[in-house]
Amino acid sequence: MIVTALKPLDEILDSIFPYNRVLIAGCDGCTQPPRGLREAETLKKLLELAGKRRGKDFQFKVLSLVKQCDSFLTASELKPHLEGVEAVLSLACGVGVQTIAELFPDLPVLPAQNSHFLGQENREGGALEDRCSACGDCILAQTGGICPLTRCAKGLLNGACGGAREGKCEMDPERDCAWELIYQRLERLGKLDLIREFRPPRNYQAKAWRLTT
Amino acid sequence: MSQPPAEAQVAVKINEDYCSRCSICQSLCPFEAISKDAESGQIILDIEKCQVCGICYSACPAKAIDIIYYDCGSLLKYLEQAKPKYKSDTLVIMCKGSAPDFAGIKQIFGVSEFIPLSVPCVGRISEELLLQAMAMGINKIFILACDEDYCRFDRGSPLTGRRVLALNRLLEQLGYGREAVTLKRHSLKVKVDKDLCIACGNCAFYCPYGAPKLESVGGIRFDLDACRGCGLCVAVCPAFALEMDNWERERLSTTISQMLAEMKAPKVLIFRCQWAVFPPLNGESNPHVRAIDLPCSARVDAFHILEALQKGADGVLIAACPEDDCRQEGASGRAEHFMGMLKERLNQIGLGDRLHFCHVARRDPGQMDKELEQFNQSLKAIATKRESQ
Repeated sequence: MIVTALKPLDEILDSIFPYNRVLIAGCDGCTQPPRGLREAETLKKLLELAGKRRGKDFQFKVLSLVKQCDSFLTASELKPHLEGVEAVLSLACGVGVQTIAELFPDLPVLPAQNSHFLGQENREGGALEDRCSACGDCILAQTGGICPLTRCAKGLLNGACGGAREGKCEMDPERDCAWELIYQRLERLGKLDLIREFRPPRNYQAKAWRLTT
Repeated sequence: MSQPPAEAQVAVKINEDYCSRCSICQSLCPFEAISKDAESGQIILDIEKCQVCGICYSACPAKAIDIIYYDCGSLLKYLEQAKPKYKSDTLVIMCKGSAPDFAGIKQIFGVSEFIPLSVPCVGRISEELLLQAMAMGINKIFILACDEDYCRFDRGSPLTGRRVLALNRLLEQLGYGREAVTLKRHSLKVKVDKDLCIACGNCAFYCPYGAPKLESVGGIRFDLDACRGCGLCVAVCPAFALEMDNWERERLSTTISQMLAEMKAPKVLIFRCQWAVFPPLNGESNPHVRAIDLPCSARVDAFHILEALQKGADGVLIAACPEDDCRQEGASGRAEHFMGMLKERLNQIGLGDRLHFCHVARRDPGQMDKELEQFNQSLKAIATKRESQ
């Protein structure tokens, strides 16, 4: 899913400050951690408290949309709630924000989140981790199901670089060396010969800007 | 409950002078906190293992065990005061873990007027108390215990079942009819609104008991027999699709408003696990403090804390059991984690100091007061600083 993190509350407050009647729109779609109705209600209360301290009395409306990135659903769900609304504060990823912006050209829409990556939710470890760069040219079949483009800090398609120490990346000792993981996995699968195959530089043309449904 | 003197701040103790060393307490203790010294034969209580359920207290034939919460004397005193207040000769004793609101109790037992007595585990209610209550003019006693496998203290509910059975036989012989004491079992469960569920799986991940089951079609199905009513899933549901019997969101909001309206500034609202702190029988008398008892600290909701701050609370204190004591499989640890996240957000808007999370153990009766005192001091310091600016 698309992994986001809430912006600093001060930044959000600055962005909505020119408006009085703001609709906070959660998203029940893939965004993690959940940014649905509860998060929207919580943010509303935090912003009300913070606004009071700056002498501002916001009037918030709160709702959560099924999938903000779906223009059909968002148009029909959001429209009935926009009367008197001066701006929308979106809890969705950047896609959701832009969907609302396109659907309602006269309505300011502000992001409450910073979108980070297409991530995996590691519940037990309490972490969300980057797993896919949406490159449009998947090579996971050759790399044991581990994406070097995403998980190698240098994005090397032919690794390892030689800088790893005890399985950890030289750029961040917390981070696993993706190419060591790939090596171990291919070894387990009995496919180590794959590591010798040369992978040509990334084809940036492979990434589509639009796909038809 | 009368406040115990400061030097006697031990929740449970065995009085060696009275102890007959019969070992009944040892055999009943669900937590292996009581042992018999092999050499001296002395009965020893390991207070660190004790969960203060009161089962040993209610079972000791020699009255050699002292307990500071809800002992027989204070319960009887409460009954004496409550009898004229409620104008009833019917007594309903209920475990906190299973008790619905008054309307729910009326429905379960079919009574309209009654004296309510809410205790942490009915296992601490001795036959003596029931008989004394009858001697006091109580004609009918209803007991609401948790379902047996739901009992927070493992043996409290089953033990009460056996006690009531034996007592009723005795009372029948004495001419009190076949069922002078009626026992029913009831447990509070989560309520699911399928229409609101977004099938995110949060409840399934967090539930310590595996009650929510993920289904490939249709989202989540709850196995209510497995639900033990901690309310953790309710606090983490992003869609407000879950509610906890008796602790519904709206109901808590109303309670918060009422409490804050009747309090005097500076106001501290406490959300406490009902197993971490045993409240006084007659309610809180300090006008600056009110407490809301939760089924587990994990039910505490960021939503309600922010609401309390908005409605004029100067501080919000969360009292949870230490993780080792948590009767809900580590749910208090989850609560701590979520409160840490909320505090981080409150810090961003300069209100982090208004939220205090602490662990308090019921075996250490002075701890809650200490935490409250410290929190009050820090709130006072914030207020002084604000005024000087």
